[in-house]
Amino acid sequence: MFWKKSRSKAEHGKNEPRNTAQAAVTIDALRHTVANMDDAEIIERNTKNDQKVTLLYIRTLIDQERLNEAIIEPLTRCSQDTIYECIAASKVSKIITLEEAQKQLMLGSVLLNDSLQNQWWAARLENPLSRAIETSQTETILYGPKDSFSEEVEQNITMIRSRIPLTTLKTEKFTVGSLSKTTVVLMYIEGLINPEFISIARNKLSTIDFDLFLDSSHIATFMEDHTHSVFPQFQQTDRPDVCAFSLGIGKLTLLVDNTPFALVAPMTFFHLFQSPEDYIHRWLVASFLRCIRYISYFLSITTVPLYVALTTHHYQMIPLEIFSVLLESRSKLPLTPFWEAFLMLITLEIIREASLRMPTKSGQTLGVIGGIVIGQATVEAGFVSKVLIVVVGISAIASFLVPNYLMTKSTTLIQFAFLILSSFLGVLGIVFGMIGLLAHLNALTSLKQPYFAPVAPFYGKDWIDLFIRGPLHWMKTRPEHLRPLQKWRYNRRR
Amino acid sequence: MTAFSLYDKTSTFSGVYVMFMVNRLQMLYFILIMPSYLVHPYMIWGIIVIGILSQINLTILSKWFASDYSAKGYQGFVELFSERAVRFFAFAGLFLIVVKITVITLGYVEVVHKFMYPSMDKKWLILFILLVSCYVAAQGMEKTIRFVVIAFLSTVWIALVYFSFFFPPIASLYDLYPLIPVDWSMHSWKGLLFIWSSLSGPEYLICLVPWLNSKQKMLKYLTIANAMSVLEYLLLFVASLLFFGSNYLSKSKFPVIDMIRYLQSPVFDRIDIILISVHMFHFVFAISIFLLYFYGAVRIIVGRLHEQTTRIGFMTSCITIFICMIIVK
Repeated sequence: MFWKKSRSKAEHGKNEPRNTAQAAVTIDALRHTVANMDDAEIIERNTKNDQKVTLLYIRTLIDQERLNEAIIEPLTRCSQDTIYECIAASKVSKIITLEEAQKQLMLGSVLLNDSLQNQWWAARLENPLSRAIETSQTETILYGPKDSFSEEVEQNITMIRSRIPLTTLKTEKFTVGSLSKTTVVLMYIEGLINPEFISIARNKLSTIDFDLFLDSSHIATFMEDHTHSVFPQFQQTDRPDVCAFSLGIGKLTLLVDNTPFALVAPMTFFHLFQSPEDYIHRWLVASFLRCIRYISYFLSITTVPLYVALTTHHYQMIPLEIFSVLLESRSKLPLTPFWEAFLMLITLEIIREASLRMPTKSGQTLGVIGGIVIGQATVEAGFVSKVLIVVVGISAIASFLVPNYLMTKSTTLIQFAFLILSSFLGVLGIVFGMIGLLAHLNALTSLKQPYFAPVAPFYGKDWIDLFIRGPLHWMKTRPEHLRPLQKWRYNRRR
Repeated sequence: MTAFSLYDKTSTFSGVYVMFMVNRLQMLYFILIMPSYLVHPYMIWGIIVIGILSQINLTILSKWFASDYSAKGYQGFVELFSERAVRFFAFAGLFLIVVKITVITLGYVEVVHKFMYPSMDKKWLILFILLVSCYVAAQGMEKTIRFVVIAFLSTVWIALVYFSFFFPPIASLYDLYPLIPVDWSMHSWKGLLFIWSSLSGPEYLICLVPWLNSKQKMLKYLTIANAMSVLEYLLLFVASLLFFGSNYLSKSKFPVIDMIRYLQSPVFDRIDIILISVHMFHFVFAISIFLLYFYGAVRIIVGRLHEQTTRIGFMTSCITIFICMIIVK
């Protein structure tokens, strides 16, 4: 007992960082900090008054041109008493503790030592590693805004602010990750969003305790209410227009530094079927497309299990004309319908995954191998029936109609579960699976809000933008299930 | 492991949920067996009369919803009857709940067995239905009440399938005569009582009042639900009369199901297999809510109402019900 206790104390002490919070900044301490850092530079310059100034910075983190323009050149020409008055950088702050100095250094600041005043200053000259604004690759649309987020969080905020130029659009900054020190920005429209969402998000963000966050999905994992569900509980998007729309209806957005994907919450199951293009098309066309997506999702999870159910348990359900085709196709197959479908689905998943990982130029080869060799040859070899190839094809294409890619992946797992159930209990098994799935969705929450709203809980008014996309001027109120503080979307009630 | 809370109350449910629940609970038996007990066309009036009687029951129920005692939940019952009496009622209620669960489960299993899996052991079907019901119930009372929306939307459309029986060549107006009874036998009385019993079910809502929004006028929703049930009863009964005729209606054990076997669709034959399976939504909802009632009643009897619900306790209740069903079968 005592041994354990003493060991745990010793370990605790070993892992504890040195208490640098209150340590004063000295050149020696900073030299020790940047030891073995090849990209760290310590240079000395004299001002016009012959005052010595020491500069310390990380070469790879700062903008070298701006360093010359804003600091080195003004310093050499400067005749002021303090160096603060000499430098031309916009963000200059006084440094007191060593911890502060280290933090500023790693954020891309140049540390300057005013030897006369014995004072350290930090001038932010970070080199923004940002790519150009490009079109979204994951949520492509034909019409509508083409810009998408980049890895630079400040730039992403600008893109949203340009769409909602309001002072009530608030941004709260959090830092998560003991190693990555990732910046997370919580955005919401004050006075519109339900304050409960903000307090839940704040609470969750402040309690995150992990070392490394490289993507927004990592943050989502720590904020989700149900870790073991296959359904995403935060909407991930790289489209600023989607974020702006979500903020406008009373949701919140989390922008994460170094990733182009923002998180939107609370989300519902039905948001997974909505595309930004829905609000661009004519409402009848958009409604039709949305219905097609729901039907496709249903088809993608049930078509192959239904094939297994019919060929294993319910031959009597197949009309005579189709039955004769099926019989002819299946008469010489060595595998049972379940194994036939299972192996085919596994093969399809392998091809799908390979097509994502392979270089673009190899994609054609993969198409030939997947389509001709595996598809046609397996039928000719007598391993699978022609009917199954058609069914698997329909199911695979149908799964791509869901706009959310994460959802497409989760359908695969659901499909396998349904496949097993259908092989045991036929159509009844599929319905068992469906009840289980719907009960699961009914129990899920996103940011503590029901995931299956507005169906269960039932919000009739929100159905105008659920299975159909009603005309925009009919959507007089914001979604009721989000309980926004500002209910009406019109300034003047009609 | 997270706390297992079955009876949490974080929000209240509007009258729409009451409407859905009343309608689905009233439709439990009819879809399976009812028309074969009614047989005569003049029973159309019987359905309407019993529907009006049922409305009186629902009016009394709405008075309970509006009372101060109901909002207090268990404490309200204790204030009215004393704790000992409430325990006694809960004990008596246990048997009624077991009977209700057993009848609806075995009734549905019988249909599945007859029309879909004649060679399968019924025990497996009972087990599967109970398992999925346990899963739904294990989400808690709030989510089970919410599940009624899914159950309602998944099954209510099935009534529309029967409209095709109202058109020639199947429909013949002569099958609806005589609309005035020429004789009145014991069988007719049994038929009336059967309608009354099948319109029962909403009375179980007296225990759900803490979860319901007390500010809403529930009588409106109860009336709509009752009217919907009566209309569905009439629709199914008249459709079965038109299809079988009153002479042959009594010969079929499950007329409502038998009828859909004759419907054809371009994609599937035997669409009854799909429709019977879809009906399970409705039964799973009813069984899961009764499972929660059962476990709640057990907790009242053993005096552990104010303690945290446990997985073991809930699973023991489910297993007890499963054993009861196997014994009854």
